[in-house]
Amino acid sequence: MEPAGPMIHFQNVSKEYENLTALHDLTFSVERGEMVFLTGPSGSGKTTLLKLIYVAEMPDHGSITIAGWDTTTLREASIPFIRRNIGVVFQDFRLLDNRNVFENVSLALRIRGVGEREIKSRVADALKTVNLRHKADSYPRRLSGGEQQRVVIARAIVAEPTVLLADEPTGNLDSETAEGVMRTFKDIHAKGTTILVATHNRDLYRNSGKRIFRLHGGALVGEEVC
Amino acid sequence: MAAPYAVKLALQSLKKDKWINLLSMLTIFSGLFIFSLSYLIFYNVEAATRNLPEKFSLVLYLEDNLTRDNIDEVMASVRSRREVAAATYISKEEAFRELKATLKNSQYVLEGIDDNPLPDSIEVKLRKDAMSSEPVRKLAETAKKIKGVSEVDYGEKFLSTLHDIRKGVRIVGIILASLLSIGVVFVCYSTVKILFYRRNDEIETFKLLGATKSFIRAPFLIEGAVIGASGGMVSLAALYVLQHFVIFRMAAEVPVFRTMLFPADFFLSLPLIGMFLGISGAVIALGRLKF
Ligand SMILES: Nc1ncnc2c1ncn2[C@@H]1O[C@H](COP(=O)(O)OP(=O)(O)O)[C@@H](O)[C@H]1O
Ligand SMILES: [Mg+2]
Repeated sequence: MEPAGPMIHFQNVSKEYENLTALHDLTFSVERGEMVFLTGPSGSGKTTLLKLIYVAEMPDHGSITIAGWDTTTLREASIPFIRRNIGVVFQDFRLLDNRNVFENVSLALRIRGVGEREIKSRVADALKTVNLRHKADSYPRRLSGGEQQRVVIARAIVAEPTVLLADEPTGNLDSETAEGVMRTFKDIHAKGTTILVATHNRDLYRNSGKRIFRLHGGALVGEEVC
Repeated sequence: MAAPYAVKLALQSLKKDKWINLLSMLTIFSGLFIFSLSYLIFYNVEAATRNLPEKFSLVLYLEDNLTRDNIDEVMASVRSRREVAAATYISKEEAFRELKATLKNSQYVLEGIDDNPLPDSIEVKLRKDAMSSEPVRKLAETAKKIKGVSEVDYGEKFLSTLHDIRKGVRIVGIILASLLSIGVVFVCYSTVKILFYRRNDEIETFKLLGATKSFIRAPFLIEGAVIGASGGMVSLAALYVLQHFVIFRMAAEVPVFRTMLFPADFFLSLPLIGMFLGISGAVIALGRLKF
């Protein structure tokens, strides 16, 4: 079994871009199966923090452990396998324009070598979860911003990752659809998935009873339960 | 499970960027075709010159008035040499008859020559492995010292020229082959590099979703292999056409082409050579992937 301890742990983590300090001396943990929110104004470092978790960036100081694995001492060849345990709803979507919705979502399974038949049923399920089954054959550019965002969510959850990171997942959604997405996250969370949602939409975490991390200028300035 | 998907990705990319792919395939084809033509020349020069030394002989001219015994002694000492395959005695009368026969259409050359001006001689055929200018020169020198031998004649110039030609053809062949291989590898390299940059966004997404390096590499390697192999196949087809053209058209008019040889084994391996070069180019283009 996996070692005990938190799912995500940051210890004195700092990240600099050229001369700019994007994150400064962060120490926090997210427990296994917990759902937390990360909030703060634009440019406060939310996206950078998530990138450090899925190893798209490396910290300049401190250490980060995911499920007990220290990402700073990881062999490069292990990075794909860490990432396979993490589903990401990218702020910039990262959908492939030359592939339809079905193919975009199925990529998360193809890179894992999942068979064709299983891909069909699991992608169909994921699209159903985000109410996009009828758009399976559409290309991303033909979809509204909200629909694209839901495709990204479907791709992030289709492989049933242990950790789900969502970067402004309701940024393009009307409040009704946003509620639907949050309900989906809660369902996934109920099944034991650890979820970290970066957002500046207060409606998402108001009365949620979850922990909220507040970032400001790259520093953790507050932690509260809403 | 992942392999068919890699093939699918490779085929998609081949189709999507068909002009780039077609262009590099044609470039590879011309490289391999020139390569094959040079090999064809090389192969034919080798084949044509391989048997030449067999026709080559050393002639020992004997002093006048040797007795039968003297002649046998010379024959014996020549035959005892390791390099000698055969030695034949040719009397001056025989030599004169042969000369007359050779010149039968230009008898006037011999007009006024009543006495036989030719000496007795021994024609020495050499073993194949002794057929380079150095051993032959040594043999000629020793033969000259044999009692009763007045002069030794051998195609020193011819031999060393032949040797130089073969060596030259070989060196040019190796240089050309290396340059063309490098050229073909480079074409595959730049094609894959272009395709790789064009798909950079996609590759970045693959990586972030958790794709391994081999998952990312495989389609490009397949693509390189396909481009290289099809370049090889087209040059194979072109050589086949050339062969027919040479045999059925040119050979009728130009006799040299009648004896031309086509190394089928080598030509049939062109698609494989192309594929190997294509994969090499792709490997270099992908280099060390970073996460
Ligand atoms: N790749 C990068 N290179 C340089 N600066 C960056 C880069 N990514 C983010 N930044 C800077 O780091 C800071 C934090 O950015 P980000 O993490 O995207 O904030 P948020 O997601 O909270 O809006 C910002 O000032 C941003 O301009
Ligand atoms: Mg952001």
